[in-house]
Amino acid sequence: MTLFERFFGPKKASANVAKDRLTLMLAHERADCAIPYMDDLKKDLLEVIQKYTKTGNVNIKTEQNQNVDMLEIEIQLGS
Amino acid sequence: MGEVITITSGKGGVGKSTLSANLAVGLAELGKKVVAIDFDIGLRNLDMILGLENRIVYDVVDVMEGRCNLSQALINDKRSKNLYFLPASQTNNKDILDKEKVRTLLENLKKDFDIIVLDSPAGIESGFEHSIFLADRALVVSTPDVSAVRDADRVIGIIDAKSQKAKDGGEVLKHVVINRLKPELVESGSMLSVDDVLNILALPLIGVIPDDEKIITSTNEGEPIYYDKNSQAAEAYRRIARRVLGEEVEFLELKSKKGFFGRLFG
Repeated sequence: MTLFERFFGPKKASANVAKDRLTLMLAHERADCAIPYMDDLKKDLLEVIQKYTKTGNVNIKTEQNQNVDMLEIEIQLGS
Repeated sequence: MGEVITITSGKGGVGKSTLSANLAVGLAELGKKVVAIDFDIGLRNLDMILGLENRIVYDVVDVMEGRCNLSQALINDKRSKNLYFLPASQTNNKDILDKEKVRTLLENLKKDFDIIVLDSPAGIESGFEHSIFLADRALVVSTPDVSAVRDADRVIGIIDAKSQKAKDGGEVLKHVVINRLKPELVESGSMLSVDDVLNILALPLIGVIPDDEKIITSTNEGEPIYYDKNSQAAEAYRRIARRVLGEEVEFLELKSKKGFFGRLFG
């Protein structure tokens, strides 16, 4: 233990930093690649929405945690 | 009918080819008839690790393109008579593989061999897709560092999307292999532990291989480390081979080797 650590407490172990960074990063990445048909689904959804409305305000999001995959669609109709 | 086992990782340089070589040797030593195929088209590797580079006449692309028979291209291993090897092609055209040709090749090999070990190229391009296409099971190799684990996670996420087995309603059996673990760094909190990696990847473990300098010597000499009776890494490979065949084997206890002073002050 260095003098610095003796006074200010030990530095956070770098393995823990690695774990935290990975967990955060993967939560984002998994949502993109885990569902193989997602890109096609998004394209089709947009087509259908545009068939009925002229809105350009469509927001499609995917979210994933341990057990649930969720698709969130926000459409702003008219202005 | 033979089983296809694909060794993959996402990131390069984490030990896919070394695992492929040692697993293939191990399964052959356990009495299975094994063929190891280097699927890294353009960048041969496995031949050097197995020490068979001087025996290559034909390669996997020659077979698929019909330029030779399968039996002409298959190379019998020096030591394990149950083990055969099919080298990668050195062509610059890495898109030369074609799904239907891969299927024909593997279907033919399945008739003659119990196990087909496919050494996949790094990355998630067509070479990877071809090597996972007909896999019955995949071993995903990662070292305990952020970039390897991240890439492994990405690969795990797309295995089923690229697999025929998943298309037919099945699932590719997936396991994690953690390579180059340094117990002393894990103990000091400077390296991700086995549990850390498994928690993140959420797949069952099939092997932990400690970092072992002897691997470098064995690659230099073209003698898979598997045969080394004193190496811990070799023991880890031997246990992985047994687990692949369905045996329940305890995991190696990996602890830092502290000397006298280390024990006093560590």
